[in-house]
Amino acid sequence: MTILFGTLGWRPQSLLPSIRSTENLERVVFYHSDHAKSRDARSKVMDFCRSLGVTASAVEVSDAYDLLHVAGQIRADLRKERAAGADLRFNIAGGTRLMSSAALLVCILEGIPATYVHDETYQEIPLPLLRISYGEGLTPKQREVLSFLVRNRDKDFTETALAKALDVHKATMNHHVRELESKGAVARLSDPHDARRLIVKVAPGMDLLIG
Amino acid sequence: MGFDERHVLPSLRLMPYDRLILVAGRDTFRSAGFRRLKALEPELRTVRVDPFDLTDALESIREAVRRAAAEGPVRISASGGTKILTNAAILAAFQEGVETWYCDPEPVRLPVLCGVRIGAAFSAAERAIARALHSPIRHDRLVAVIRDQGFARRTVLGAVHSLAAKGLIELEGEAGGVLVRPSPRFALFRDHLREVPKKA
Repeated sequence: MTILFGTLGWRPQSLLPSIRSTENLERVVFYHSDHAKSRDARSKVMDFCRSLGVTASAVEVSDAYDLLHVAGQIRADLRKERAAGADLRFNIAGGTRLMSSAALLVCILEGIPATYVHDETYQEIPLPLLRISYGEGLTPKQREVLSFLVRNRDKDFTETALAKALDVHKATMNHHVRELESKGAVARLSDPHDARRLIVKVAPGMDLLIG
Repeated sequence: MGFDERHVLPSLRLMPYDRLILVAGRDTFRSAGFRRLKALEPELRTVRVDPFDLTDALESIREAVRRAAAEGPVRISASGGTKILTNAAILAAFQEGVETWYCDPEPVRLPVLCGVRIGAAFSAAERAIARALHSPIRHDRLVAVIRDQGFARRTVLGAVHSLAAKGLIELEGEAGGVLVRPSPRFALFRDHLREVPKKA
């Protein structure tokens, strides 16, 4: 059974082709803004799903939130459904720029097949995304280090303290931290209280990568 | 960039740069916003795309990033222009492994792993399979063809399994054997599968 996720703007036509084309469609979950026209579009999509006998649920997203916040919300919903064993698809065509970009970001990070619908032809176009988690671009040890830093974001760790916390040699930790730094996942910053110490800080947004 | 420069200017203030390349649609280059930006940045280079065609925009941005990367480090600001152009820039950033920011209006750095290109997700055996796979082929025949190129049987079997897991090939049971066929998504990755990874 497949669950179709989507972002919806003012035009239901951006989502309907995916509802029609998805095989074994069990449910539709879509995100829309609090704009009146978007709410109108929501009613039309709900009616359409009802006519097909497909369950649909709408999630209203305020544009006041930031991209990473919206992406985090979408990712939590996707992961919940995936953990329940559902096959997932995402249509990112509709909605505000922020909503659509947040959905695309999550699809890239989680390896969810995504499509968009052409504005004029209404043709559904698949996006070039692999069905693998983007975090696999890191080695297991790099993921472990990054994950530890994300969990302890509010604390300051030097490489030596990190090595001790994760029970590896400090030279090994230096290698992992340098690799992560070259990928832009962490930064080494001077400790404001002790200029001799370098604090390893996780880059913003990396919690979405590791989660 | 769209019809005004309000998404571009915060990025320019934030990020130090030596060269500025603007990706936009035809109408943008006729806008007052573009003229103001050009007055600020006379050395500005431009890349014209169809901002309503994600595939076209993606390919143009990837090409622009590759050319610029040959001259020095690249950063993308992905928040101007149409929604499709923004999404194409985000996709290109992840595919090419380029530092990317989204300013709307607060700057947010996206979790792109710098230097990790999408081609890195494919092993040498997976690339060999991709080169050999043009139409449906029997599994045992495909394995034999790839083994002839010097790969171990186990490696080839693993690569077939991996490509299927990535959604690029489909395995179908057929009387007397299994048939391997490229999935509809396979064509989207042909360029990446053709790339030869750089030496470490």
